Amino acid sequence: MNLPDFDYYIPASLQDACALLAEKGPGAKVLAGGTDLLNKMKHELMAPEVLISLKKLDQLTSIDYVSGKGVVIGSMATHNAISNSSLLQEKYLSVCEAAQHMANNQVRNVGTIGGNIVNAVPSADLPPIFIALGALLTLVSTNGERVMPLEEFFTGPGKTHLAPDELLTGIVIPDNSFTGSTYIKFGLRRSGALAVVGVAVAVEMDRNICKDARIALGAVAPVPMRAKKAEAMMIGNAITDELLEQVGVCASTECNPISDIRGSEEYRRDMVRVFTKRALRKAINNGHV
Amino acid sequence: MSDNYTQIGKSVPRIDAFEKVTGQAKYTADIKFSNMLVGKLLLSPHAHARIISIDTSEAEKLPGVKAVITHKDVPSKRYGLSPARWDENIFCIDKVRYIGDKVAAVAAIDEETVYKALKLIKVDYEVLPAVFDAFEAMKEGAPQIFEEYPGNINTEIHQNFGDLDQAFKDAYYVRTDRYDGQRTYQCPLEPHATIAYWEGSKVTVYSSIQSVHYLQYYLSQVLDLKMGDVRVLKTYIGGGFGGKMDPSGLDFGAVILAKKTGRPVKMWFDREDMFFNNRGRHPQFMNITTGVTKEGKILGVHADFVMDGGAYTGLGIASAYYAGALLTILYDFENYKFDMLRVVTNLPGCGAQRGHGQPQPRYAFESHLDNIAEHLGIDPLEMRIINARKPGTLTVQGFRVDSYGLKEAMEKAREISGWRDKKGKLPQGRGIGMGNGGFVSGAGYAIYRTDLPHSVATIKVTDDGTSAILYTGAVEIGQGSDTVLCQMAAEAMGYRYEDMKIVAADTDLAAHDLGAYASRQTLMSGAAVKQAGEDVNKKILDTAAEIMGVSNEELDCRDGIVFVKSNPEITKTFAEVARTYFVKNGQLIGRGSYKPPKLGGVHKGSAVGTSPAYSAATQVAEVVIDEETGEIEVIEAWDVHDCGYVINPALLHGQVHGAFYMGMGEAIWEEVLFDKNGKLMNGNLAEYRLPTALDMPPVASELVDTVDPNAPWGVKEVGEGATTPTMGCISNAVYDAIGVRVKSLPFTYEKIWRAIKEKK
Amino acid sequence: MQVVVDNNGIKRYLVTLNINGDSYTRVIKANTLLVKFLREEIDLTGTKKGCELGDCGSCTVLMDGKPVNSCIVLAVEADGHEITTIEGVAQNNKLDRIQESFIENAAIQCGYCTPGMVLSAKALLTQNPHPTEQEVRTAIAGNLCRCTGYVNIVKAVLVAADEQ
Repeated sequence: MNLPDFDYYIPASLQDACALLAEKGPGAKVLAGGTDLLNKMKHELMAPEVLISLKKLDQLTSIDYVSGKGVVIGSMATHNAISNSSLLQEKYLSVCEAAQHMANNQVRNVGTIGGNIVNAVPSADLPPIFIALGALLTLVSTNGERVMPLEEFFTGPGKTHLAPDELLTGIVIPDNSFTGSTYIKFGLRRSGALAVVGVAVAVEMDRNICKDARIALGAVAPVPMRAKKAEAMMIGNAITDELLEQVGVCASTECNPISDIRGSEEYRRDMVRVFTKRALRKAINNGHV
Repeated sequence: MSDNYTQIGKSVPRIDAFEKVTGQAKYTADIKFSNMLVGKLLLSPHAHARIISIDTSEAEKLPGVKAVITHKDVPSKRYGLSPARWDENIFCIDKVRYIGDKVAAVAAIDEETVYKALKLIKVDYEVLPAVFDAFEAMKEGAPQIFEEYPGNINTEIHQNFGDLDQAFKDAYYVRTDRYDGQRTYQCPLEPHATIAYWEGSKVTVYSSIQSVHYLQYYLSQVLDLKMGDVRVLKTYIGGGFGGKMDPSGLDFGAVILAKKTGRPVKMWFDREDMFFNNRGRHPQFMNITTGVTKEGKILGVHADFVMDGGAYTGLGIASAYYAGALLTILYDFENYKFDMLRVVTNLPGCGAQRGHGQPQPRYAFESHLDNIAEHLGIDPLEMRIINARKPGTLTVQGFRVDSYGLKEAMEKAREISGWRDKKGKLPQGRGIGMGNGGFVSGAGYAIYRTDLPHSVATIKVTDDGTSAILYTGAVEIGQGSDTVLCQMAAEAMGYRYEDMKIVAADTDLAAHDLGAYASRQTLMSGAAVKQAGEDVNKKILDTAAEIMGVSNEELDCRDGIVFVKSNPEITKTFAEVARTYFVKNGQLIGRGSYKPPKLGGVHKGSAVGTSPAYSAATQVAEVVIDEETGEIEVIEAWDVHDCGYVINPALLHGQVHGAFYMGMGEAIWEEVLFDKNGKLMNGNLAEYRLPTALDMPPVASELVDTVDPNAPWGVKEVGEGATTPTMGCISNAVYDAIGVRVKSLPFTYEKIWRAIKEKK
Repeated sequence: MQVVVDNNGIKRYLVTLNINGDSYTRVIKANTLLVKFLREEIDLTGTKKGCELGDCGSCTVLMDGKPVNSCIVLAVEADGHEITTIEGVAQNNKLDRIQESFIENAAIQCGYCTPGMVLSAKALLTQNPHPTEQEVRTAIAGNLCRCTGYVNIVKAVLVAADEQ
C-alpha cells in the first residue's frame, strides 16, 4: 500500500499547534495516534497536505482528577493508558473496559481517545460510554477555549462540530451521582472487530428505584445517540426484568441503524434490545464495570 | 515397530526454527539485489469490460519509471494451472472478466513511483453487463464471459456407478438436503512476492510458490523458454494453503519486466491483491440425496452440485472433480451418482484451498447424515460406524483404500470427548457435534500429463562424512516438510537428523518434485528420500564391510554408527566409513525416485481422487450459543486422526490444530463479500475475519495407529484431511445446541439468530 | 526536527531512532512508515508486512517497550524513541527464553507471524511475568497466525512464564 506525501510539523507547544492549524488551513489535519488517519490516507479517503503531530504535547496525555471539575483525560491518552489508569479503574472501570475492547493491543498502545472521538466513526467504542457519563470536550484554537458536551459534538459519520483550526485537548467526566455504568461491545470476533452494536449506560439507583439513567448507543445511527425515550421509562421506576426488557425494546425502536456487511438493520435493532437490557442489569447490579 | 527407529517418530525441533524465531529467515519480499527495481500489476476496475485502448505514455514519462507492459508486450499464449482449460492470459487482451483482473504492469525505482505510475496508465473500457451468481450465469440471456463456455458452463461432470435408482427403491428412507458453501480465501500471512533477474538467456525467479516445478513448467511453456533456462526457487514461505499454487501475474510480470529493463525486478501483492489473485475456495451449492436401510446402512448417494468458479479455471476443474470423488472414501456404499456444473462468473477465479474441493461437500454430507440419523433415531456416530470403510477395500469408482482407521478414530473420539454423556444431553444453547473427513496422501497423477517421476531426491554426504545434504524439490511452506524429510533421510541412511542439511525447492540446485499440494510430500517426497537414504546406507555398509572384514549382511547402521549385528560392540562411525568411501570412489551420493503406480478406475475423470493412501479423521466439537444474539463460541474440540506412521508428532499435532482453526474460521466467520457490482467489500484482515487467539478453543489431537503398505514407513497425510471434518462437525454441534439447522456457511451470529427466531 | 528540501521542493526530515540499542540517523520523507524504515533503511527484515493496516500484527515492534504495529506508525513519530525489533530479542546469539520456548513447544510453522508473536509475548512477560492463559490470549489477539491455531503459541508463552 502507499501512503501519499504530506508535510509534517511537530509543534512544541499547544499555542504553536493552534497557530499552525490556523496558518495551514483546512488542508491540515491533526495527527494523534494515526491508527485511523493513516489508513484512511492509504485508502485515499483523505488527502491532507499537512499533518500536525501532537506527540510533543506531553500535557495532553495526563489522566487526573481535578477537584470541582471531575476526571480530566488528555486527548492524547492512548486506549491502553486509559485502560491501565488506576484513577479510572477506581472511579469508572466501565471506561477502562470500553478502552480495553478496542481493536487490539498494538493499536491500543498508539490510538488515542482524541482520535477515537474526532474521527467520528459511528461504531467507535469510547464515545458511547463518555456520552452516558455526560462527558464534556475541551476544544482549543487561537481564538481561545470552548467546552461542548460530547453528545452534541457529532454531526454525521466522520463529521463533527470541530472547527478546522480547532484542537480537541481533553475530555472531562464531570462529578456525578451515577451509581453504575458500563459499555457492552458486540463485535463479530473477540478481538479486532468493529462494534455491530455498542451500548453504554449510566444509572443512578436508590435501592431498586432508578433515579437517573442514560443510554448511549453506538453503531446504530450516523452518530452515537442517546435513547431518551428508553431512559425516561427507567427514571422513577422500580427495576424489574420486565421493565428492562421493555426499555430494550424501546431503545431498539429509537435507534436508526443501517444494513451493511457486519449486520442487517433488523439484527442491529434486536441487538440494541438485548444489550440495552443486559447493560442496564449489569450497571444496576455491579456499579461502574 | 517404531521402537527400532532412531530418527523418525520423534518430535525433533524444526530445522528452520532458529532462523524463524530470530527474524533471520528471509522471505521473498525480504530479499534485495543491487540495482533492483520494484513493480506492481495494474488491475481492472470493472467486472466485465472490453478493453478499447491502453495508453501507457504518461506513466512511461514519470521520472523513475523504467518499463510499463501490457498484453502487447507479452506472449498471447493462454495458460492455467490445469491444462484441461487454458483460458487465462498474462495480461487481458480483449476484455477483463472481474474486478482485479490483470491489465498491465509497471517497474520503477521505488514503491512510491510504482503507485504513481499505475494511476497514469489510461485504459479505455467499454463496460459490459456482468454476472456474479452461478445460477444467474446459467440462465438464458446471461452475459457470456467466455466464448468457449456456452451458458457460462466451464465444466460438466456426470458420473454414475452402480444402480442408484434401485438403491433408492430398496431404501427404507431416502432424504434430500440442500446446503450452500461460501467463498473463502487461504489468507497466508505472507503476501505473495516474486523477484526475477536474467543472466544471458537464463532467468532466475524467486517466488512465494508452493511448487517450483509447476512454475518453472508454466513459465517455460507460456514464455517459450527452455525449462533449463528457467530457474525457480523459493526461500522461506509464509504459508500457502493452496493460495500459492497457481503461476501468478507477479511471476510472469517480474520475468518480463526484468528482461525489458535488464535489471532485477521485485513484484509484490498488497493484502487486497491477494484476494483478487489467490484463487480461493469455490462456493458450492449442494443437493445431496441418500438412501439408507432402517439400521442406517447407506445404500446409495446422489451428489448434485453446482460450483461458482469465478472468472478463470486455474485448477478449478480438479476442484470440481474432487468435490465428488472423495465423498465415497469414508463410507462404503455401492451406488453413487455425481453431477457437477462448474460455472464461470465475473468474480475472481477460484481454485484449491486446504482440502481442495472437498470440505464443503463434507460439510453437506456430514450435516445430511446427522439429519438421517435423527430421523432413524440412531446415534449419528453409531450410524457412521456401521458405514465406515474397512481397510483393503475398493470404492465404487475403483479407488483402492488399503490402511483405513476411520472406525477406530470414531471410537476413540467418542471416548475422549465424552460423547455418550453429552450428545443430546447438554442444556439448551449448548451442543456437541461430530464430523468425519480425510484426504488423499498425494494425487495419483500430476496436474499436467507427464511420465516424469513425482518426486526425486538426492543425498550427498560431505567429504569428511560429518554431515549430509538432502536435495529435494519438496516445498517447505510452514508445514514442516524440510524437517520430516531430513528425519526420514537420516533414518534411511542410519544417520543423525542433527547432522542433516537441506537444499530444497530450487530447480537448479535441488532435485525434481511436484511440490506442496494434495498433501503429497510426506508420502511421495518421503518415498524418494527414503530410497536415496537407503542407497547411501547400502554404500556405507558395503564400504564398512570391506574395512571391517565382514560381509555387509552382518552389519547395520543407526544413529551414525556402523556396527556388527551379532556383536554391537564392534563399530565404526558413519563419518569415517563415509570418508573412506569418498577417498576410494569420490562423492558419496544416494539417489531416490518415486512415481505412484497406476491407480484408479476407467471412468472419465478417474484420475482425480486417486492416491496411494487415504487418511481418515474424526472431529468432535462442543459449542455454546447465546440464543438471544446468535453468538457462537466453540469451547472445546477433539480430533482423532488416522495418518499412518507419524514421523514428527509435534509437527503433526500442529497441523491438526491449524486445520481445525481454518475449518472453524470457515464455519463461523470467514466469507469474502462482493457488492452488486462485483466489487470486493472485505479484502482486508479486519473485515475478512480470521479467528484470533481469543476465539480459538483448546484442541485435543490424538491418533489411531495404522501403517499404510503403500507408503514409506506407512506414512499418510494430515494437513488437509484435518480441515475437512470441521465445518460438518460444527454444523452438527450448532444443531445439537439450538435444534435448528443453519443451511449455509458460514454460521454467522446473525444467521444463527435468524434461525432461532424463525423456529420460534 | 531538521528539514531538508530538495530541488523539487520535497521535504525530508532528519530522524534518529534507537533500534535494538543502536542509534540510527537517517533523512526520510514524512510518509515513511516505521515498517518501511526498518526494512528498507536499516535492512531489518525480521519485521514483516502482512496487511499494512494494523490488522494482523506481523509488523509488531516494541516502541519504548510497548508492542505497536509499525505499519501504522510514521518513522518521524518514532524519532527519539527506543525500538526493539525481533533482531534485538536474542542477545549475542543467545535466544531469549520465549524464543527457546517457541522452538521447544513447536509454536512455529511458516514463521511469518513469529517475530510479532515473540515481541507481543516479550512485552507481556516483561510487564506481567505470570500471566493467565486469558491474559496471554489477549496480549497476542492482535497477532494473527494462519498456521497454528495459536495452540502451541499460547503454550509456549505460558511455559516460558512458568520458568521465570
